[in-house]
Amino acid sequence: MTSPAISVDSLVKRYPQVTALAGVSLEIPAGCIYGLVGPNGAGKSTFIKCLVGALRPTGGSVEVLGIDPVADRWRLRRRIGYMPQEIALYDDLTVRQNVRFFGSAHMGVGLDAAVDRVLAFVELTDRADAPVHTLSGGMRQRVSLAGALVHPLDVAILDEPTSGVDPELRRAFWDGFRTLRDGGATVIVSTHQMSEVVECDRVAIVNRGRLVVEETPEDLIARGARQVRIRRKDGTVEEVPVGDYRTELPGLLGIDVETIELVQEPLEDVVLRLIEGSR
Amino acid sequence: MKTPNALSKIGAIARRVLRQIRGNRRFSVAMLVIPIAILFLLKVVFDALEVPSVAQRRFAVLGVAYLIHFVAFLLTALVVVGERVQGTLGRMFIAGYRRGEIVAGYLVSYTIFATVQGGIVLAVAYGLFDLGYDIAELAQIFLVVWLLAVFMMALGILVSSTARNEVQVIPFVPAILVPALFLSGMVVDVRRFPTWAQVLARFTPLYYAVEVFGGFFSVGSVFSDVGSFLLLPSLAVVVFGVAALTLREER
Repeated sequence: MTSPAISVDSLVKRYPQVTALAGVSLEIPAGCIYGLVGPNGAGKSTFIKCLVGALRPTGGSVEVLGIDPVADRWRLRRRIGYMPQEIALYDDLTVRQNVRFFGSAHMGVGLDAAVDRVLAFVELTDRADAPVHTLSGGMRQRVSLAGALVHPLDVAILDEPTSGVDPELRRAFWDGFRTLRDGGATVIVSTHQMSEVVECDRVAIVNRGRLVVEETPEDLIARGARQVRIRRKDGTVEEVPVGDYRTELPGLLGIDVETIELVQEPLEDVVLRLIEGSR
Repeated sequence: MKTPNALSKIGAIARRVLRQIRGNRRFSVAMLVIPIAILFLLKVVFDALEVPSVAQRRFAVLGVAYLIHFVAFLLTALVVVGERVQGTLGRMFIAGYRRGEIVAGYLVSYTIFATVQGGIVLAVAYGLFDLGYDIAELAQIFLVVWLLAVFMMALGILVSSTARNEVQVIPFVPAILVPALFLSGMVVDVRRFPTWAQVLARFTPLYYAVEVFGGFFSVGSVFSDVGSFLLLPSLAVVVFGVAALTLREER
């Protein structure tokens, strides 16, 4: 079995006024797209900052690519790309200058070609020489993502990369994340958009600094309650919860049944219910 | 993949900062125009008070030193805190820039800026106050002003480590820059102060520049007391080291 890209054991991060992470344990397999889902203030960004060594955990342990992110941060940072939640860019510089600057910490040879490539990926080639302060919020988000992905990496850690991005480009981003994964990288994406859960290979739902559930999107969908809705010819509608509808359905069927519909609880409701349940 | 060495990363930071300064024309013009305007006002006041030209020249040199050291401190402290607030400082760390490289990158870029600024302001002072020094003497004045500016930049970076936002830098401005006006020896000889004030004077970086200029005004050379001259760069190096050690990213 291959070793996980990231191992987190009983991770605690406590501030004087608040406990941001209250003992999170999980393993993230190498070469997957891993989603961190939760409402604002759930602890996603704190978790991510512990992964990149920007925060020193109060307790527990973290290993990224087998490296302690705090004790051996410089060795780790050569192998990761990080996009912060806040758009941390230099407003007075152009798009290209910003991306180039973040790439300069990792590579000298081939940097110009890498900048061109990543600008094409975020669809900003035609705005490469525009100062960042002239761009819209969504475009700045794209510059920030480009700054994280400009260099060769083993793990991409992206804090809400699709926030403020239009649906078409969002799809392009996810295609890009899949390309990164298919190239062998592990991609960690935090989001509070439930619709993006299905784009991930595995998902961790966090709330109030705790891990609520960790599984595949398919397993998450299967948690949704199912019911059979029976609309009779006389106009009455009956909704009956079912487990395995294939075996239970025949017993439910009677005369005057016109249609039988399988209704799947939306994934967003499942996630929100899990979050509610964790309170 | 071969990662860039420290010099290359320091160069990348310095280039980036200089591009920002160049891109922000209003800021860079203000940083040049304001010291020149203050020098002009100083000349108007001196003329009104009928201050003898010898004394005017002395105050003009010390005034240039004070103005450049003021701007250097304020500029670096505010810019570094601004980077912390915007998140770019944290992002630089995670991108792989180390704190020594970051501090050195700032110092290189702002030293280049201070070199240009110091040169222009000194040239204006030369014309305005009819300084009459030869090239070698002007070069000595420039060297001391330049070293003082570097010292103050290191101090600005050090102070920025203790502040979480720009507002928290403000108390350091009167605390560091105003006492320098009357404790450094610019106005009154420090040796006339009570002992405790003489000790306090040594905590103002301008004091060391004024000491060096004392030799210059009396015997025409800033190197007349080598020990006194070397104190300025030595202390700058110490403050630089402390600034590099205290620039932190994690909380």
